[in-house]
Amino acid sequence: MPILEVKNLTVRYGNLTVVDNISFSLEQGSWLMIIGPNGAGKSTIAKAITQGVNYTGQVLWEGMDIKQMKPTEIAKRIGVLTQSHLMGYSFTVEEVVRLGRYSYAPSIFSPKDDQDVERVEDALEKTGLIELRNQSVLTLSGGELQRTFLAQIFAQDPLLLLLDEPTNHLDLLYQKQVLSLIQDWIRTTGRSVISVVHDLSLAKIYGTDALLINKGRQVAAGEIEKVLTRENLHTVYAMDVNDWMCSLLSQWQD
Amino acid sequence: MTRSQESFRPRDFLLFGMTTVAVFALCVCVGSVSIPLKDTARLIWNSIWGLPVPEGISNSIILSVRLPRVICVALVGASLSICGGAMQGLLKNPLADGSTLGVSSGASLGAVIAIAFNITIPSLPFAGTMVMAILFAFISLMLILSLAYRLDYSLSTNTIILIGVIYSMFVSATMSLVITFAQDKLKHITFWTMGSLQGSSYENALVLLGALILFGGVILSRARELNAFAIGEDNARHIGVNVKGVKLTILITVSALIGVCVSIGGTIAFVGLVTPHMVRMIVGPNHRRLLPASIFAGAIFLMLADLLARILFNPLELPIGVVTSFIGSFVFVIIFYRSRQVQ
Amino acid sequence: MKFIRLLATACVIALLLTCLAACGKKSTPETTAAPGTEDAPAETTADIPETTAEVAEETTAEAATEPAEETETADAAEGAITVTDMVGREVTLAEPATRVVALSASDCEIICALGAGDTLVGRGEYCNYPAEVLEIPSVESGAETNIEQIIALEPQIIFMNKMAQSEEKVNQLEEAGVKVVICDAANIEEVYTSIALIGSVMNKNDEAKAVIEGMKADFAEVAELATGDGTETVYFEVSPLEFGLWTAGNGTFMNEIANLIGLKNCFEDVEGWGEISEEQVLERNPDYIVTISMYFGEGPTPVEEILSRKGWGDVTAVKNEAILNLQNDELSRPGPRLAEGAKLLYEFVYVTMAQKKAA
Repeated sequence: MPILEVKNLTVRYGNLTVVDNISFSLEQGSWLMIIGPNGAGKSTIAKAITQGVNYTGQVLWEGMDIKQMKPTEIAKRIGVLTQSHLMGYSFTVEEVVRLGRYSYAPSIFSPKDDQDVERVEDALEKTGLIELRNQSVLTLSGGELQRTFLAQIFAQDPLLLLLDEPTNHLDLLYQKQVLSLIQDWIRTTGRSVISVVHDLSLAKIYGTDALLINKGRQVAAGEIEKVLTRENLHTVYAMDVNDWMCSLLSQWQD
Repeated sequence: MTRSQESFRPRDFLLFGMTTVAVFALCVCVGSVSIPLKDTARLIWNSIWGLPVPEGISNSIILSVRLPRVICVALVGASLSICGGAMQGLLKNPLADGSTLGVSSGASLGAVIAIAFNITIPSLPFAGTMVMAILFAFISLMLILSLAYRLDYSLSTNTIILIGVIYSMFVSATMSLVITFAQDKLKHITFWTMGSLQGSSYENALVLLGALILFGGVILSRARELNAFAIGEDNARHIGVNVKGVKLTILITVSALIGVCVSIGGTIAFVGLVTPHMVRMIVGPNHRRLLPASIFAGAIFLMLADLLARILFNPLELPIGVVTSFIGSFVFVIIFYRSRQVQ
Repeated sequence: MKFIRLLATACVIALLLTCLAACGKKSTPETTAAPGTEDAPAETTADIPETTAEVAEETTAEAATEPAEETETADAAEGAITVTDMVGREVTLAEPATRVVALSASDCEIICALGAGDTLVGRGEYCNYPAEVLEIPSVESGAETNIEQIIALEPQIIFMNKMAQSEEKVNQLEEAGVKVVICDAANIEEVYTSIALIGSVMNKNDEAKAVIEGMKADFAEVAELATGDGTETVYFEVSPLEFGLWTAGNGTFMNEIANLIGLKNCFEDVEGWGEISEEQVLERNPDYIVTISMYFGEGPTPVEEILSRKGWGDVTAVKNEAILNLQNDELSRPGPRLAEGAKLLYEFVYVTMAQKKAA
């Protein structure tokens, strides 16, 4: 049984249909890439899964409708990393990371979770933020800030990680750092990932599955090799993507 | 590395508490009429332990006039301050406050309508204005926020200020309209809108204390959720905060607390803006420290402002709002300038 | 250097402004028949020839332009009236006014007291005495003074006070053919002046004289009868505790009348009106309290409310229940009823309270 199943997902903003009847499913341990050009509705799908927008259709977690679940129950299963974080107040790195544990003890009256301290330490260590733990988030670089929120997710310890172009604004080094951190996390814990990307090379390197969409409509879904075919990509991008990618990459051969 | 590091520690409590008590003592001892420290101390000491209290004017001044007033001022300061702190966290904007958003003026509109059209609750003489003030504070807040979200979902500083100005203008226009329909209450309404903490009674203090414990308690219990909102509403949702529920809870409690304060002390601007800002510089933005510290700091700030209002032009009294607005407008400009720099 | 020059300029301007304000306040209205003032001799001597010339010119001009009407009454030319109002403006009228608007409550009262109430075609929104004037259409006054509203009533003259007028508004009204007369009395002597002024504008000089004489007699009577030697104190409460205590200090009619009947205003160190500290009232321990709060027919009356205040039990006035409630603006308006207010206060202090004390 797939851990996540999306059935006939449709999102409308007024008269505008942004996501039109999308269906796909996700097995445990896989990395699904949601691919499409700008404005295709990729981020909106991610937002719908975490109940950030109103939608019709169903999002099922192990057969259970996610709409019926409490926010804390959803958070224990799905973590989200978005592309940018505009910080207003000078919280410390550790304070931000620690909020990842919120769903395990949401009320001030709920018993203290023994794992809290351990998880937070672990997350800080994994992301290399131990030294920065007491630093204000306002003073961090983009990469450090992204790592802080990644650490928050590690502390949150969800079964599925939703990435909404998390490496978009990052320098190459940070991109690689963040992505390999996520790859390690998947491998060692057997968790799953859904990524919204528009860099096709990245999708091909890390993804196991893919959902290709264009203008809100589903073009193809399934194993990544079967989705990212020359024909499919041509219908979406209106160009020969394979040729273009090859010519780009050939520039880098010594 | 325990969770307690994040929260308000006993040491902090002691520090803020002692300062509050010291300022409180100062404000009770100093006033428009000077009464020897020794007499003041004996009066209060005797009345606490139920010992016979010497009769006379100084007795009346301390026990019936100054003490209840200082208590009320402290409670109003604490309440407005925790409201400001909560709103600034919820909306992730350091300029959000009852007075800048126009919630206070909305509350006073409610009270004025209650006075103008004789809306009272039988057997509870002041409940009519209070309930109307609370109701209008809440309606105002909903109106302001829904409008703001429609214009600009991220609720930028500019939007907040603009909406506050527009809404305050709308309220004052509506108030003029109400007054034309209730000419006979003109004087009553005019004086009411000027607001005063003169004549505060122990009953007022009790109502304020009750409101602060009840609503302040609810706000304090949402400190972690407010942290999440202060980092970002999306982030709050992602870590499992019931975004709609918490937002509604905070908005209701904040309106109720502002409504109670306005119906007793009138609109006192900028308290909720100034104190959380200063406190944030001392204890940081974490609401588990910020909110309790704001309660103390709000009390201290307003007690001192009131002290100035009482003694600066003795025997004349300044409206307390004049003092807070004077200080507040400076702080407002500083925060605005800084937030623009960050952007 | 630039800063200092700026500062100096500012000082000079400020000085000029205060001078102007002082002149404006002091210049007492005079009919052109007696144009001597003590205040600014240089100014007046310069003005006299000019003014008289102007009067003569205008009178002849009027007579020339409207000869047809003049013939109706033999002495119509003498009907032309020129007055100087209380800020020193000259106003000339062809004939006594028959359509009048009074913006301030005191002017309205004076007009009615002179028996010219039937000439009123409009009143300021706060004019409420005598009760008949409530029938007359009301217009906005004070800062909200609405020129169109006033012009629509087609008055010949409008009476307003200094607070309500601004240069532009006066000019607008004058351009629309409405003569503006400004009355502004700050003490009893000036009230007489404003009554005389309104009397001459309305051609009710004899009535004005009678009202003034009546007031003078009333004041003289209470002053004569009052036995106080200024040791007993009175506290005037303008707004109740709930809204912050406001009192009337030095330079108000209440203060003047208290002194007239041998009482001392316990807040005479306050200039004009001001919000005062509750503690100070207790400390100063007045023998009498006069409150002008309105009673709306529900809850405790203003007197009961004062008696029930916590901590006020030791105040002499509260102990003796020596509290007077004057609800009809008797002591706050620069009009003929000030004498009535003085009488009420006198009776309360020297008759009612004296009897109570004796008993």
